Amino acid sequence: MNKKIRIATSLLIAFLLTPLFAGEGEFNGMVRDYAAFRFSEADMPVHEITADVRFEYYGDLGKLTLHPVAYANPNKELELSLGEAYADIYLENTDIRVGMQKVIWGEAEGAFITDLVSPRNMKSFILADFTEIRKAVPAIKIDHYQGDYMMQAIWISHFVPFSPPSENSMWRQEVILPFPSTVTATIHDPTLPNPTLENSEFFASLSHFAPKLSWTVNGGYQWGDEPLVTAVTAPSATTRDIAQGYERYPFVGGSLNTPIANAVLRLEAALAIDKPMNSLDTTANPPISLEKHHQVQTLVGLDWNMFGAQWSSQYLMIYTHDHHDKLVFQMKSINEFAHTLTFRVQDTFLDERLTAKLFTYVELDPANALFRPSLSYNLGDGVIVEGGAELFVGDEEGTFGSYQNNSLAYLALRWYF
Amino acid sequence: MKRTSILLLIILSIMFVLPATDLSGEDVMWNVYNRDSGDTMGANLIMTITNARGSVRERSIAQYRQDLDGVESKLMFFLSPSDVRNTSFLSFSYEDGRNDDQYIYLPALKRVKRIASDSKNDSFMGSDFTYDDMGSRHPDLDRHTVLRTETVSGLPTLVIESIAQGAEDYPRTLSWVVDGQWFGLKKEFYLPDGSLGKTLTIDAFDEIDGIAVITDMTMSNHKQNTSTRIQMQDVEFNLEFESNFFSERQMKIGPRR
Repeated sequence: MNKKIRIATSLLIAFLLTPLFAGEGEFNGMVRDYAAFRFSEADMPVHEITADVRFEYYGDLGKLTLHPVAYANPNKELELSLGEAYADIYLENTDIRVGMQKVIWGEAEGAFITDLVSPRNMKSFILADFTEIRKAVPAIKIDHYQGDYMMQAIWISHFVPFSPPSENSMWRQEVILPFPSTVTATIHDPTLPNPTLENSEFFASLSHFAPKLSWTVNGGYQWGDEPLVTAVTAPSATTRDIAQGYERYPFVGGSLNTPIANAVLRLEAALAIDKPMNSLDTTANPPISLEKHHQVQTLVGLDWNMFGAQWSSQYLMIYTHDHHDKLVFQMKSINEFAHTLTFRVQDTFLDERLTAKLFTYVELDPANALFRPSLSYNLGDGVIVEGGAELFVGDEEGTFGSYQNNSLAYLALRWYF
Repeated sequence: MKRTSILLLIILSIMFVLPATDLSGEDVMWNVYNRDSGDTMGANLIMTITNARGSVRERSIAQYRQDLDGVESKLMFFLSPSDVRNTSFLSFSYEDGRNDDQYIYLPALKRVKRIASDSKNDSFMGSDFTYDDMGSRHPDLDRHTVLRTETVSGLPTLVIESIAQGAEDYPRTLSWVVDGQWFGLKKEFYLPDGSLGKTLTIDAFDEIDGIAVITDMTMSNHKQNTSTRIQMQDVEFNLEFESNFFSERQMKIGPRR
């Protein structure tokens, strides 16, 4: 079923269900005009107009939500996407959400530790709004409340992978394959798991919400969002076929937040059990193989107020168990320990009309970083104009340094209605 | 005749300067603090912020409050403008002086986030009110003296001078407290240099369910030439909240009870 038919069907179903929720409806949303100027090429690789509409229909039973999004780019076909479409049913101690939905877990800001339920939209490494980074999944989510505790269970009927940058995107990175120049390699599109019950994904969590300490323990049995090389075959001496697919693994994790004086401490950790990874060995046959390694991700964050501004800092560490030098991710080496720092400072001026913000990612090995300064001004009546920059610096082997030719300045106008 | 006039003047001066009450400043401010303001309350707030150029912004908020076992729980839902619609803010304030616990729900992020407790002197949502102004300031934070009595809007008031014990943006305030009803009709905030920084005036108050409630007030900042008016509509007391109303769940659901 193509995307337009899916969207139309969802809209139809939602409107057919509307009488069940007999009540009142509400329209709101945002129109955004976003243009970027790339320093290295002195060009404007992005000029996108986005219409993000949300329709919510309230009734005695709960709420229906439809969230279509349209993206218009010059000389490209209009892209229509169903951001979300779901029904909420509110019972006495239980909330049930059914449909295409985004689920967000964890305490991290700008990082994904236990936040593994909804896949990422990486069509652009930099999105006009970070909130668009997640994709909706077809799921049933049940939240059951008992005092300050909440138990959550999620069943995702069909695996949805992450969205990579398109072929001609400036965010597309060339994968260097381990073959001599005389060999022609064909990389096949990844194969999706069959949509069977046993291939569906399951997640569960238990949370406690309290002023002194709020915590969550969670876990899931899920497919890795990004494809791995699953097989390399040699149809002839000068050709190689590379098959890609998705692999699944379980994870357990948790997070907490607690106030310390006037600050907030956040912790989050996840253990991926037997996480499939690619190993690259040019002396072996085949040169790319699959291995399983435990992987631990941890994050410590601190938020505080100082000089009237909001400050936040995070330290993220990833440890890969039984590490060796041949482990790769997208054909780039994986470190046994990977360390990343983030830093944010934000302040408002002129009766909170003007907001100045700086968000920074710093990867320690290899040393590279992304600096994201921005200024936004609220003109009133829901109209906000924002200007900023995305500055990639440092080692080209790093996550951010590899995009240093994509450093850009942008201007965005948002109208909320 | 001249002697009589002088005597009258002295008597009037004494009447004006000395309070016609046996209560101390501390007593008065404790009465204000302990005044019955309902164990629970719900209201819609219209906040009109006027800047120095006369430009006006309006925000509307649905607010719910509960006082229980020394904890004031407050849940606010932002209804407009559209760029903040469906954002909600939950706070717990403690009688024992502990720092507030504060949470914000941003619908775009779909996440309830604990936020670092704002300084009580910080602006409340870009208005001329501070977080301190929006809550009940604990009497022990200041030393209070009854200066005089005055009639304001036809009501007898006690003018209380409060001197902050710690460092504050406005170390001295004057409050006009209605004698016997223990709510303020006016408040002046003085800067460390002694000049008048801002003034809170009460434009309307009402009695709802036997509780005196301010329904229209304006804070004027004399230094920045700005003002903020807060009007309260649909005020209800003694609401029956579910036991988990002041919660993460309700922040996500919205103001529907």
